[in-house]
Amino acid sequence: MDTPETFFDFVRQQSGKLLEQTLTHTGLTFISVLIAVCIGVPAGILISRRKKLAGPVLGITGILQTIPSIALLGFMIPLLGIGPKPAIVALFLYALLPVVRNTYTGILGVDPNITEAATGMGMSPRQLLLKVQLPLAMPVILAGIRTATVINVGVATLAAYIAAGGLGEFIFGGIALNNTHMMLAGAIPAALLAILFDWGLSRLQRLNMRKARKTVLVLPAVLLLLSSFYLLPDTYSTRLKAGFTPEFMGRKDGAIGLGNVYGLHLRTLVISDMIMYKAAYEKKLDVISGSSTDGRVKAFDLVVLKDDKHIFPPYYAAPVVRQALLEKYPELAPALDQLSGTINDSIMTELNYRVDYLKQNPQQVAKDFLVSARLWKPARNGTKGTIRIGAKIFGDGYILANMYKMLIEGHTDLNATTKTGLGGTKIVFDALVNDQIDMYPEYTGTGLLVILQAPQQTVDSIIGDSKKVYDYVKKGFAEQYQVRWLQPIGFNNTYALMMRREQASRLHISSISDLATYVHHH
Amino acid sequence: MIKVSHVSKSFSHGKNAVNDLSFEVQPGETLVLLGTSGCGKTTTLRMINRLLIPDQGEIFIQGKSISTETPETLRRNIGYVLQNTGLFPHYTVLENISVVPQLLQWDKTRIRSRALSLMEKLRLPPASYAYVYPQQLSGGQQQRVGLARALAADPPILLMDEPFGALDPLTRISVRKEFKLLDELNSKTIILVTHDVEEAFELGSRICIMNEGRIQQMGTATELLFNPANDFVRHFLDKQRLELELKSLRLRDIWPYLDGAGGMAGTILSADTNCWDTLENLTRDKASSSFRGEGKHLDGNILMNAITAYKKTVSQHGHA
Repeated sequence: MDTPETFFDFVRQQSGKLLEQTLTHTGLTFISVLIAVCIGVPAGILISRRKKLAGPVLGITGILQTIPSIALLGFMIPLLGIGPKPAIVALFLYALLPVVRNTYTGILGVDPNITEAATGMGMSPRQLLLKVQLPLAMPVILAGIRTATVINVGVATLAAYIAAGGLGEFIFGGIALNNTHMMLAGAIPAALLAILFDWGLSRLQRLNMRKARKTVLVLPAVLLLLSSFYLLPDTYSTRLKAGFTPEFMGRKDGAIGLGNVYGLHLRTLVISDMIMYKAAYEKKLDVISGSSTDGRVKAFDLVVLKDDKHIFPPYYAAPVVRQALLEKYPELAPALDQLSGTINDSIMTELNYRVDYLKQNPQQVAKDFLVSARLWKPARNGTKGTIRIGAKIFGDGYILANMYKMLIEGHTDLNATTKTGLGGTKIVFDALVNDQIDMYPEYTGTGLLVILQAPQQTVDSIIGDSKKVYDYVKKGFAEQYQVRWLQPIGFNNTYALMMRREQASRLHISSISDLATYVHHH
Repeated sequence: MIKVSHVSKSFSHGKNAVNDLSFEVQPGETLVLLGTSGCGKTTTLRMINRLLIPDQGEIFIQGKSISTETPETLRRNIGYVLQNTGLFPHYTVLENISVVPQLLQWDKTRIRSRALSLMEKLRLPPASYAYVYPQQLSGGQQQRVGLARALAADPPILLMDEPFGALDPLTRISVRKEFKLLDELNSKTIILVTHDVEEAFELGSRICIMNEGRIQQMGTATELLFNPANDFVRHFLDKQRLELELKSLRLRDIWPYLDGAGGMAGTILSADTNCWDTLENLTRDKASSSFRGEGKHLDGNILMNAITAYKKTVSQHGHA
């Protein structure tokens, strides 16, 4: 598959998927807003009548709002699994505060003279609410719904992390793959949706000043219609269900290769790396695209399927450092290279297991390892200069960045700071090129396919040989970016398909070919 | 028609309380509750349509305690006019006027024809005003819509809380004049709350002066002026006393003291003309009047002497 030339080529090529994602996104947004309106408006009415409840109710919805969205989605997984259900619930909780608060303030904001007149005319509390309070509060309530909708268009992008679809699939895929077209194909429609919905609701709001009573009827109809875009996908299936990260979905050495080389086509959900292993362990997913050295492979008793046709390229980790810095501090490279050859796959899995699953401090884990390898020395507190070490958000990165910091501070007169958790490849590599960090640990395969985007023939000719790949990226980085690859550390953190050990042995699947055969026959 | 019996009401904030209040309003009468702000007059009014519930005592309408009915039914049969009109900003003038008939589930054509005819009577031509919104109207027009809304279902009772209070002085006087001339109101029993002494004397058949939650005196204009029950009433009216006296005394009231026998000349005034209007006439022209077949000519001196004599008699005997 060739990378499309322009953004518009990409959009044209992916138009079907883009439309589907946009509709899913719209549906996710409005179904949650609709539920929030159905619950939030009555709640707002209730607390406008029982003012003692107002404090607690607004407080609780306010606290829900402050929970970071990705964390809220994370909380939902043990309760509701993955897919649209937890996403809708999380989005609903986000939409709740603006709807409740605006209903409450809208009703309290109605001129007391007018409500007294209505009561004095002989309206019952219900007539007062329906004929006077709600119509007059409607602009304020609509403003709340507008806020909720715009918030939800944004938060709904994160739904892609828990396999609920939406434009987040393109956005996070694009970030992971360093594919700007893909990222924009998700981000631009998301922004347009936010603007469009905001505009549409503002029209409704202005219209309403005069024709308040009609809006009360129009609004639910509009919300219902838009919600219906999201037809809840069938979650029940006897077939194996796969969960792949956005990055894996779009890679030549990922889902695309699985289809081309193994003929493997699974029912696939896009899901965040952070929750994928747990979802597999909890039987929400059957096959996931993990990384072979991840600590959670051990923690959740997963088994790596053998890549018997060699589609996953070598991913040997090595530090990449800005050339200029190595020339400025010649002592740096030897200090960093001490780690070369000390960590193999099983050691790395063990280290990751201690950090990811046993929740040990990455610094402590790094230090323990260096001590046992007799590489640790107390920090010299040197003042010669500061090296900024970056890392991706995966476990390897945290630990390696800490080891490098200790090596630099113990073996040179330089200082080091770590900036871990820099998201995907694109973010951390851009930070390096733009002189925001000085070095970070990278994988040879990522360098070859994501950053250099080597031509297909080249990839095919060298992919089987890890040494050739290393030499190719080393040359390419030096020429194109003035960045040098130091010695490989030793372990190969390649992609791997993995399944629950119990299920794999029950179905007699030990390699990807076995899996393809099984899927083919069921 | 309306009987308020030993009613008390107090509030936690201590203001606007009402203390053991009793009075009756006759059918067709306009009773004005007059007093300074915080004296409990609005509280009293709001208890009659159950916007407030008395702590003690009872209120009867046509002999029936109001607590025996649902508040909604009670209120739909009582017209209510508020100081700041309380018009519904999202309803047109026509819709505003139709509110109570709609609550009473009149049929649509009846509601419409009633609302339109009221608009005509209140000088709001439906062609120009039926479909505009209240905020597009002037203050006087809004007040008239408020009145039309209260009258729409033709309730026998009308409660008016400072109905002209939000208007500028000139508009207030002209709206008040129209109000007096409106025949829709002739048969109504009206309780009107105001702090404006002049307004009370102009509109009230009887006036009830209230202070600190108690009735100070209740009676006709002349009773209050010439036979005040206590110092509070006397002082309350002192500022405008001369004007009030001239306006409330009619020629027939002081007829025996008018010393202008014979000689009809100039404008002939009815004996029901009050002294204020008579004086106004005398500044332009000669005037005379006749009462029970007797004609008298009038001038400033004759009028003033008669008034003085009247007051002297009243203060000595308690009546004229």
